Amino acid sequence: MTSTSLATPENRTASPATMQALATLNDRLAAKPAAHLRVEKLSIAYSTARGPFHAVDDVSFEVKPGTNLGLVGESGCGKSTVIKALIGLQPEGTKVSGQALLDGQEILGLSERALQDVRWTKISLITQSAMNSLDPVYCIGDQICEAIQAHESVSRATAWARAEEMFALVGLPASRLHDFPHQFSGGMRQRTVIAMALALNAGMLLADEPTTALDPIMQSQIMSRIRGIHEHMRRSMILVTHDIAVVAETCENTVVMYAGKVAEKGPTTDVLARPLHPYTMGLQNAFPRLPVKGQPRQALISIPGIVPNLLRPPPGCRFAGRCPFATERCHIEAPAVTAVGAQSAACHYIDRAPEFREAAARPETWRKLGAGA
Amino acid sequence: MSDLHTSRPAIDPDARPIVEARDLKTHFQGRSGIFSALAGVKPPTAKALDGVDLRIRKSEIVGLVGESGCGKSTLGMSLVRMYQPTDGRILYLDDDITRAEGRRLKDYRRQAQIIFQDPYSSLNPRLTIGQVIEEPLVIHDIGNAAERRERVVRALDLVRIPAVDNIDRYPSDLSGGQRQRVAIARALVLEPTFIVADEPVSMLDVSIQASVLELLDELSRKLGLAILYISHDIATVGYICDHVAVMYLGRIVEEGKAEDILSAPLHPYTQRLMAAIPRMDPGDTAGRAEIRGDVPSPMNVPQGCRFSSRCPYVADLCRAVEPELGQHPAGQRVRCHIYGSEGAKRFPDLQRPEWGRITEVTDAGTLAQASS
Ligand SMILES: Nc1ncnc2c1ncn2[C@@H]1O[C@H](COP(=O)(O)OP(=O)(O)O)[C@@H](O)[C@H]1O
Ligand SMILES: Nc1ncnc2c1ncn2[C@@H]1O[C@H](COP(=O)(O)OP(=O)(O)O)[C@@H](O)[C@H]1O
Ligand code: SF4
Ligand code: SF4
Ligand SMILES: [Mg+2]
Ligand SMILES: [Mg+2]
Repeated sequence: MTSTSLATPENRTASPATMQALATLNDRLAAKPAAHLRVEKLSIAYSTARGPFHAVDDVSFEVKPGTNLGLVGESGCGKSTVIKALIGLQPEGTKVSGQALLDGQEILGLSERALQDVRWTKISLITQSAMNSLDPVYCIGDQICEAIQAHESVSRATAWARAEEMFALVGLPASRLHDFPHQFSGGMRQRTVIAMALALNAGMLLADEPTTALDPIMQSQIMSRIRGIHEHMRRSMILVTHDIAVVAETCENTVVMYAGKVAEKGPTTDVLARPLHPYTMGLQNAFPRLPVKGQPRQALISIPGIVPNLLRPPPGCRFAGRCPFATERCHIEAPAVTAVGAQSAACHYIDRAPEFREAAARPETWRKLGAGA
Repeated sequence: MSDLHTSRPAIDPDARPIVEARDLKTHFQGRSGIFSALAGVKPPTAKALDGVDLRIRKSEIVGLVGESGCGKSTLGMSLVRMYQPTDGRILYLDDDITRAEGRRLKDYRRQAQIIFQDPYSSLNPRLTIGQVIEEPLVIHDIGNAAERRERVVRALDLVRIPAVDNIDRYPSDLSGGQRQRVAIARALVLEPTFIVADEPVSMLDVSIQASVLELLDELSRKLGLAILYISHDIATVGYICDHVAVMYLGRIVEEGKAEDILSAPLHPYTQRLMAAIPRMDPGDTAGRAEIRGDVPSPMNVPQGCRFSSRCPYVADLCRAVEPELGQHPAGQRVRCHIYGSEGAKRFPDLQRPEWGRITEVTDAGTLAQASS
C-alpha cells in the first residue's frame, strides 16, 4: 500500500501498471492543500413574483484550513442558500453580493466555465438530494470515473481503481461499482454520493444535511467516515445540520443562523457551553438527550412561533417575535454583532447572557409567548 | 401543563392491557418476477414482523425503537389493523380482533388510531382544518353537523390550536408543528383508546419537537390513552415513554423500563444502537463501537440469533439457536445467549458467546483501522 492510498478494496481488479498510475494519481490528489474559505458580508436575495426574498443577509464567517465549521439553525434560516451560492448553484436571477474567497480566489459570480474548474476539484458537495442526481442509466462506477476523468488525465482503468478505493473508504464493496443507482438502498446511495464528493480530494467539502432523516446507526456510520477522512486527509468542511450533537462531535467552529442572519458564531465548545444568543440557548435546550442513570434531567423546551417571512424582514431583531427576553428596543432596532473573546452574537443584551441562560433552561420561560408552535 | 422531565405516574403492571400482541407476525409476499413465475419458484416472503409480544396499558406510552427496516411501522400498522397479520393474535381489551371484519373491524378502527411522520403530506391540502378533522366522524357516521362541529372544536382544544382562528384555514397556512397537532386532533376526534404515533416528530425542527412530545404525554395522562410511540430519534423516547421495546429484524430483542434501556442496555444490538447516538458532551465518542453493514433483508433472515451476522460476540450457539426473550435480574428482558438461555441448556456442547470475547470484527473502527 502506498502512503497515500486511503483504503484497500477487497478483490482489486487493477493491473500492476494501473496500480502504478493510481499511486501517482493518489499522490497528486493528496498533495492538494486543505482549503481556506473566507465569506464576507454575503447577502442573497431570490427573485420571486412578490419581490426580492432576502434569504441571506450580511453573513460572514471563516473556515480555516483543515477545520470543520458547523452551520445550524431551523429549516428556512438560509443554510442551504449559503451552500448553494458557494458552489454556484443558485437559481437564475438570484442576487448575490459580498465575497467568498477560496484560498484567496473569489468564487461568487464565476462563469459556468470557471465553476467547472472549481467544483469537484477544489470544492465538492454532499446533499440529501444528490442521491437523486445519480444518473439512473449509468452504472455507479462509470459515473464516478466520468467525474474523475473530467478533471484528471488518467486512463479509465486508473479512474476505476480510484473509484474502488473510494468505495472501500465509505464501506461499500468494489463489486457494487457495477450496480445501477436503483439497486442501492438509501444509505448505500448516500455513501456513494460521499465517495463521489471525495474522489478528487477537494480541499473544501460542503455537506448539507448529509445524514438528516437517516436512523442513528446509519448516521453514525456516515459521520464517522466523513470525520475519519477529514482527520486523515486534513480537509476543510462546512457541515449543515439541525443536529447540534453532530456539530459538537465534528466541528471546531459553529455558526448559528436565524432568519438569514448570523445569530451567533464561535468555537463550538464555547457556543454550546456558554451560548450568548437566546436563539442558541433555545436550540440547545430543545435538543433531546439520553438519560443518565440516577441523574435528574433537564426539561425539554420548545421555541414557540416560526421564522419570520423574509419578503418583509422585521425591522428590529429578527428573533424578537419569539424571544422570551425581547424588549421594545428589540422590535425597533436591529442588534449589532458583539464579540466576547472568539465568540460573537447579534443581541442587544449580550451582557445579560448568564441570566438569560438560566431562565432559558426552564420551559415556562418559553411558554409565556404563546401556545401552538 | 406538565413538563417533560417530571416523572410519569407508575403504570400498574397487572392492569389489563388495552392492546396486546401475542406472537404477532406479518409477512409480505414478494412480487413474483416473470422468470421466477416461469421457473415455478415461489416469490420470497419478507418476514417484516416475525413474532412479537407486546402489551400497552391505559395511560401508558410504550416506545418502539430500532434501525429503519426492522419492522417498527409494520408492527404499528398491524396493531391498528391497517395490515392484516399473517399469524399470532391482537387482543383489544381481551377481545381477539386479529381477523375481525365488517362492523367489528370498523368499531376497532374507531378505538385504534395512527399518526404518521410527515405532517406535510398526511393532511389533504384541499380540505380546511375543520374538514380534515371532521372527516373521520363523517366516515364513521357520527353525530349531526352541529355535534360534529362541537367535537372538532374539542379536538382542536385538546391539541391547543385555537379553533376560532384556525378551523377554516388550510393545512398550508400552518407550520409543521401545528400540522402535526392537526393530525393528532384528527386521530383524537373519534375518542380512541389507543394511538400509534409513527415517527411523529422526525420531520419537525428540533425547536418544536418538545411541544408535540408534551402533547402526547399530556394526552396519555389526561385521556388515559394507550400510546405506541415509534421513533428512530431514540433520545426523544426517554422523555415520554414508560416502557421501551427494541426491535431487530422483526422481533423484540430487549425491552424494559425506558431509563434502563436507554442508559444501561444489555443486548449487544441495543448497546450499539445507543452508542450510535451523537452526544453533546465532547469526549463521549471515544471508544464508540460502531456497527457495520445494514440490517439483513427480512426475506433472508439469518439462522439462529437474528443479530448473529453483525454481532461481534457471535458463537456457534448463536448461529444454531435463536435465544428467547429472557428476564434479566437488572429488570429488563433480553434476547441473547450471553445472559443464559434455554438453547444454552439444550445444547451444552455448542460454544456459547461471552462478554469481551470478540469472535468477529463486525464493529467498524476509525478510518485509520479500516485503511491499515
Ligand atoms: N429558489 C427559491 N426561491 C425563493 N425562495 C427560496 C428559494 N429557495 C429557498 N427559498 C427560501 O429561502 C429561505 C431559506 O431557505 P434555505 O436556504 O433552503 O433554508 P435552510 O437550508 O436553512 O432550511 C426559505 O424561506 C426558503 O423558502
Ligand atoms: N407493504 C409492504 N410490502 C412489502 N414489504 C414491506 C411492506 N412494508 C414494509 N415492508 C418491508 O418490511 C421491512 C420492515 O419495514 P418497516 O416496518 O417499514 O420498518 P421500520 O418502520 O422499522 O423502518 C422492510 O424490509 C420493508 O421493506
Ligand atoms: S436582541 Fe432582543 S429579541 Fe433579539 S435575541 Fe437579543 S434579547 Fe432577544
Ligand atoms: S451474542 Fe449471540 S445471541 Fe447474543 S446478540 Fe450476539 S449473536 Fe445474538
Ligand atoms: Mg436546507
Ligand atoms: Mg417506519
